[in-house]
Amino acid sequence: MLEPLVSMRGITKYIYGGDGRPLRNTDVKILEGVDFDLFPGEVHVLVGENGAGKSTLMRILGGVIPPDRGELKIAGARVNLADARDAREKGVAFIHQELNLCANLDVAHNIFLGREPRRRGLKDAGEMYRRSAELLKALSTDLDPRLSVARLSTAQQQLVEIAKAMSFRSRVVIMDEPTASLTKREIDVLFDLIRRMRSEGIGIVYISHRFEEILAIGDRFTVLRDGRLVGTQPIQSFEPNSVIWMMAGRSIDEMYPRTHAVEPEPVLELRGLRLATHTPPIDLVVRRGEVVGLGGLVGSGRTELAKSVFGARRFHSGDVRYLGRKTNGWSPARLIRAGMAYLSEDRKTEGLIPPMSIRENLSLASLRSVAKLGFLSRPREERQAGRLIRQLNIVARSSEQLVSTLSGGNQQKCVLGKWLCTAPRLLMLDEPTRGIDVGAKAQIHSLIDQIAGAGVAILMISSELPELIGISDRVYVMREGGVVAELEAGPELTQERVVACMV
Amino acid sequence: MNIVSAARRGLAILIPVAAFLALGSRVPHFLDLSNLLNVVRQSSITGICAVGMTFVIVIKGIDLSLAGLLAFCPMISGVLMLAGVDPPASMAAGMLAGIAMGLFNGLMVSRLTVPAFITTLVVGQISQGLALTINGGSSIGAFPDSFVFIGNGAIGGIPLSDLLLLAFLALGFFIERLTPLGNHIYALGGNETVLRQEGLSAARLQFFVFGFSGFCAAVSGLLLSAQLDTVQPTQGDAYQLDAIAACIIGGVDLAGGRGSVPMAVIGALIIGCLRNVLDLLGIHPFMQNVFIGSIIIVIVYLSGVIRRHGELATRGTL
Amino acid sequence: MSAPVTEVVRAGAAPGEGGAPPTRAPAAGKGRVWIAAGGLLKLVGRNVALLIFLTLVILASLFVENFAALDNAEVILKQSAIPAIAVIGMTLVLMTGGIDLSLGYVVGLASIVSGIMANTWLWPAPAVLAAILVLGLAVGLCNGLITQFMRVPAFIATLGAGYVLYGLAQIVSQGSIINRLPKGFLAIGRTPMFGLPSAVFLALAVAVVFHVLISRTIFGRQLKAFGFGARAAVLSGVPGARINVSVYALCSTLAALCGLLFTVRVNAAQPNMGGGVFTFEVVTAAIVGGTSLFGGVGSVGNSILGVLSIKIIENCINLLGVSYHLYLAVQGAIILLAIILGNLTNRRA
Repeated sequence: MLEPLVSMRGITKYIYGGDGRPLRNTDVKILEGVDFDLFPGEVHVLVGENGAGKSTLMRILGGVIPPDRGELKIAGARVNLADARDAREKGVAFIHQELNLCANLDVAHNIFLGREPRRRGLKDAGEMYRRSAELLKALSTDLDPRLSVARLSTAQQQLVEIAKAMSFRSRVVIMDEPTASLTKREIDVLFDLIRRMRSEGIGIVYISHRFEEILAIGDRFTVLRDGRLVGTQPIQSFEPNSVIWMMAGRSIDEMYPRTHAVEPEPVLELRGLRLATHTPPIDLVVRRGEVVGLGGLVGSGRTELAKSVFGARRFHSGDVRYLGRKTNGWSPARLIRAGMAYLSEDRKTEGLIPPMSIRENLSLASLRSVAKLGFLSRPREERQAGRLIRQLNIVARSSEQLVSTLSGGNQQKCVLGKWLCTAPRLLMLDEPTRGIDVGAKAQIHSLIDQIAGAGVAILMISSELPELIGISDRVYVMREGGVVAELEAGPELTQERVVACMV
Repeated sequence: MNIVSAARRGLAILIPVAAFLALGSRVPHFLDLSNLLNVVRQSSITGICAVGMTFVIVIKGIDLSLAGLLAFCPMISGVLMLAGVDPPASMAAGMLAGIAMGLFNGLMVSRLTVPAFITTLVVGQISQGLALTINGGSSIGAFPDSFVFIGNGAIGGIPLSDLLLLAFLALGFFIERLTPLGNHIYALGGNETVLRQEGLSAARLQFFVFGFSGFCAAVSGLLLSAQLDTVQPTQGDAYQLDAIAACIIGGVDLAGGRGSVPMAVIGALIIGCLRNVLDLLGIHPFMQNVFIGSIIIVIVYLSGVIRRHGELATRGTL
Repeated sequence: MSAPVTEVVRAGAAPGEGGAPPTRAPAAGKGRVWIAAGGLLKLVGRNVALLIFLTLVILASLFVENFAALDNAEVILKQSAIPAIAVIGMTLVLMTGGIDLSLGYVVGLASIVSGIMANTWLWPAPAVLAAILVLGLAVGLCNGLITQFMRVPAFIATLGAGYVLYGLAQIVSQGSIINRLPKGFLAIGRTPMFGLPSAVFLALAVAVVFHVLISRTIFGRQLKAFGFGARAAVLSGVPGARINVSVYALCSTLAALCGLLFTVRVNAAQPNMGGGVFTFEVVTAAIVGGTSLFGGVGSVGNSILGVLSIKIIENCINLLGVSYHLYLAVQGAIILLAIILGNLTNRRA
C-alpha cells in the first residue's frame, strides 16, 4: 500500500459563539472526529449537504483555519499549518468555489503575485510571461498570459488557478465544486486536466453535488453528514440513491407534531415563474394553514425562489400572485405590510441586526404595531418582547440583551419572533433549523405546526429530509432552477422518493 | 490586449484630444505654443498630485489631505529658507514633512481601520492649521533665486516644471509597471483576500501608498510656491479638487484596482486645458469649479454603471 | 380572517421542554478580569462624550483664567448654538454610514441667498426663513438622490456638490458681502430671551425635536437598524432608500438654517460663511460625541456635548491668547483622539 499524501485523524471543530470562544458543551459541532485520507494519483470525492462540514474539513487541510482537535499528516509528517500560504508551501493547493484571483490583473501577474520573477530588483515581466505561458501550455491551453482576468470565463479563470497551483508544484489539489458554473464542453476539458494531474501522481480532493460527474472522475468517495464521517468507499459502490441516503437520510427518531389542518384558499400562487433566462417555468401553490416543503440539492434554486417571491431578487418572467393579487416588483417592505415574511438562511446578515437588542430586533418588522402616530411605545414594545421571549423560550438575561450574544438557536427564535409580530399570512422559512441544537430544533418544529394551525401558509426550504417530510403537507422538489416533482404527504412521501427526484 | 479594447482605449484618449483641438481652434490663442506650454506648466501642480493620488484611489482610498499639505510643506521649507537655511535642505525638510503626514494617514487607515476620507480630511485640516499658524496666517515670499528658478526656469526652452511633471510621470509609471510593488498595489485594490493569502502585508502597502502621496503633495506644493515665489497658507484649496478630477477623468476607478498614472496625468492636462479655455473665454474660476465638481459626480456615476454592467455580464444570474 | 399568530402561539402549550443549553461556558480566572475590564470600557464607551466634556470643563476651570465665569459660559453657549443645529444633521448622515462634506458650503449659499432675499428683494423674515429651508431641502435631496440612486459614494458626491455650491454662492454674491440687514430679519436669531439670543433656544428646540425623532419614532429605529445592517434592515421592511435620501435632505435643511442664523449673528451675508472649516468642525463634534463612522451609533445629546467640548477648546485657545489658526490643527488632533478612543471602546472587536 502506498503511503497517503494526506492523512487526517479525529478532526474536530467546534462552533464558535458570539464572543469568539468555542462552544464545547453543545451537541452541535461543525466537525467531530473525522478521518480522511488522500493517496497519490487518486481523485477523492467529498460529498455531503451544505453544512455537513465538507468545506470546513477542506479549509483545515488548506490551512485556512486550524482544527480544534485531531491530527493532520502531509506526506507522512505531522504538521500544524499556520495559514493558507504555509499549506501551499507544503504542497496543498486550494481552488475555491469563489475564485481567488484579482480580476484587475492579467493572468501572469495573478499567477506570480507575491513572487514575481525579478532581475536586478525589478519585476522581470518578460520572464513572468514566458513562465506563465509554459505553465498554461503544460495544461494544454493557449490562454494568453497577458489577458486581464476580468475578461476570462469562469472556466478560464479556473485554469489560471490550476496553473498557479502547478507553479507551486502542489502534490495535493482541493477543488471545491469546480464545475458549478461551467458548460459541458468546459467540464470535459477540466476532467481531461484532472486525469492528467492524477496520472502525474497528484492527489485531488473533489467536492461536488453532481453525481454523474462524481462517477465520471472519482476513484473513491467520502460522505459527511452533520460534521461526522458516514463512510468512505470505492467509486464502484457509488449508487446515487444510497449516497443521498447517506448524505441526508436520518432515521426518524422523533415525532413531528401535526395538529394543523389545510384550508382550500390559496395564499401564494406562482404561475410560470422563471428564476433566470435558462431555467424552466415554475408553478406552485401554498394554501392557508398548509406547510409546503421545498426540497432539492444545494444550488437547485430554492433560496432564489423564496427571494424572488419576497421582492429581494429580480426574476426573469412569470407571475407571483399573493392573496389573489399580482405582486411582481413589490418591495419587501410592501410585502411585509401585506403579511408576507421570509426567514433567511443567513441569520447574521439577512435575519438579525446583531448589535441591537432582542427587543429592537423583535419589533423591527412590525414597528407600526408598537407605535402610535409614528412614535414608538416603549411599554408596548417591552410587553411584546417579554411575551415572545416566554412563548418562544428564548434563553436570555433580559429583552435588552444584544442578539449577537445569543446562541444560534435563540437567535433563530428571535428571527421567527420578529416575523410572528407581523401577523403573517405567508411565512417562508429558509433552512429554519440549520446549525441549532436538538432542543431548539424540536421547539421550532412544534412552533411551525402551531403557526400553520393558526391559518398561516408556510413554505419551508429544508435540506433535512426527515424534517421536510415530517412537517410538510406537500413537498415540491427542485432541480436546476425548476420544480421537478410535487409529492403529497402520506405513505407515498418517503425520503427515498424525494431523493430520487433530487438527482 | 485585443483589438477592440485597444481601440477603445485609443478612443478614450483621442476623443478628448479631438474635442480640445476643435474647441481650441475656436478659442483665440489657445493653440499658441506659448499658451500650451503655459497650460502644461500650470497642470504640473495638479499632475504631480495626481500621480500620488492614483495609487491611493487604486487601493480604494482617497487623499483629502492634499489641500493642507500643498501649503504646509512649502511653508516649512519657506520659513527655513528665509531663516537662512540653504534651499536644498529646506526643501528636503518640507518633503519629509509631507512624507510623515502621508505615513500617518497610512497608519490610521491600516492599523485603526479609519476610512481614508476621514483620516486624510483630518490630516489635511491639521496641516492647514499648522500652515496658518506657522506664520500667523500670512503669506511669505521673496525666496532665494535658486528656489524660484525651479518654478520659472527652463532648460533648453522647456520649463523646469514640465520636466518635473515628466519625472513624476516616469516615477509613477516605473512603480506601476516595472516593480513587484506596483503589482501588489493593484492586487490590494483588486482583491485584498488574495493579497493576504500570498502572505503580502496590506498595511505595508498602505503605508507606502499614502506616504508616496504625501511626498507628491509636498513636491507639488514646493513647485507651486517656486512658481509664485510665495507661500500662501491656503494655496492648496484649488488643487485638491483638480487632482481628484484628473484621476477620475483619467479613468482611475474609485472602486479600486483600476487606473494608471499616465492616464491620470493626461487627466490633469485635460483639466488644465479646460481651465485655460474657460479662462480665455473669461469664465470665472468659481464657475469652473461648478463645472468640475459636476463632472466628477457624473463620471463616477457613469463608471459605476459601466462596472456593474460588466459584472452582471460576466457573472450571470442564479 | 385569521387571528394574529402571536395570540395563537400564546394559547399553545409552551413548546419543548427544558429549554436550550447554556449559551456559553462560564468565564473563569483570567477571563473574569477581562470581562470586568471590558465592562468598564463599555461603560466608558457609552459615555465618552460626557467624559470628554466633563474632563474639559474641569481642566479649563483649573488651568485657564477667566474660564469659570458666568459670562464666559454664556459666550460658549452662544457660539455653540449654530454648530449644534448642524451637528444634528451630520449625526443623522453618519448614522447611515455616510458623510456630508457639502454641509459648510450649504451654509455659505444659504447665507448669501438669505441676504439677497432680505436686503435686495425686501422679503419679510418668515418668507426668507421658509425659502432658505426649502433651498436646503432641495440641495439635500440632490445629495441624497445622487448617493442613493446614482450610487456615487457619499464622500465624493458631497465633495463634488460642495464645490458646485461654493461656486454658485460666489456667483450669486458677485463677489460682494451684504451688510446692514433689516431689523425684522435679524430678529430671527437675535431676539433676547432670558438673557440669551433666540438662536440658542432655536437650537434647543431643534435638538429636542430631533432627539425625539431619533430615539422615539419609527424613523429613528429604522435609521439605526439601517446603519447597523442595511441588508437585514431592508429585508425586515425598512425603506432603505427613503431613509438614505431623507438624512441628506434633513442635514442640508439644518445646514441652511445655520447659514441664515450665522448671517443674522454677524449681520452680514457672505458666500465664504461656513465652508470646509465649518464642515470639519461639525464632523469633529459628531465624532467627539461618539457617533460611529461605520453607521448605527449616534445620539443628538452626545453630539451636542461634542459641540460644547470643541467650543470649550476654542474658548480656551482664545482666553490663552493662542492663535486661532492653531485651533484648526487642535481640532484635527481631537478628532484623532476621539477616533482612537472610540476604537478602543467600540463594539467592533
